[in-house]
Amino acid sequence: MSLAHRMALESAHIRATCVEATEFMDLTRKFRVTGVPKTIVNESIEILGALPEELFVRGVLGLPEPETDSPPGE
Amino acid sequence: MSLLSEHDRGVVREHLAKIQQPVTLLLFTQTIGAPETALIARQVLDELASLNDLIRVEEVNFVLEKDRAAQYGIDHIPAIVLLSNDTDTRMRFLGAPAGYEFMSLIEAVILAGTNDSQLDPESRALIAANVTAPLDIQVFVTPT
Repeated sequence: MSLAHRMALESAHIRATCVEATEFMDLTRKFRVTGVPKTIVNESIEILGALPEELFVRGVLGLPEPETDSPPGE
Repeated sequence: MSLLSEHDRGVVREHLAKIQQPVTLLLFTQTIGAPETALIARQVLDELASLNDLIRVEEVNFVLEKDRAAQYGIDHIPAIVLLSNDTDTRMRFLGAPAGYEFMSLIEAVILAGTNDSQLDPESRALIAANVTAPLDIQVFVTPT
């Protein structure tokens, strides 16, 4: 959860809510939450599972995953 | 009655010692017909506030104080809004932060009380360069 909260603290444009899925069936139904953690951004982007910081931040911002460096020797 | 053992209270108190500025936990609930989880949330927040003088709990009546609910974008209860030095941190919890989420709450309180996101420089740069419009992040979790 903490990464989303950290992002909120970082930018005045970002709001982050930790939702206890079992208590709000209307929201879990609306966003088709069948597993946790599930992250929903602006009610459209979906991120499943817990990700490392860089991937989570890029996912929330809708940015592509970083290109991996070419293996040495190429 | 305390929710935590004396040992756990000591551990949490130690973590919370990092806080440098006042943190207010706004708990949105209602007097009549509040869900049972709202009472649990209140207990959890009171326990946290009892461990550090900089932490304060303020209950907001969701039914009677509609302007404040609107101000913070609250449409479900119980909801918790964290303020750092009376300023909205935009960090929220929906539901009782019990079980595993108690740890998330402690972390969020520390973030608010230090006003430092602790994100990597790369993440901060990505956010600064790409976030120019409101972004609403909801993370669904379960207590266990």
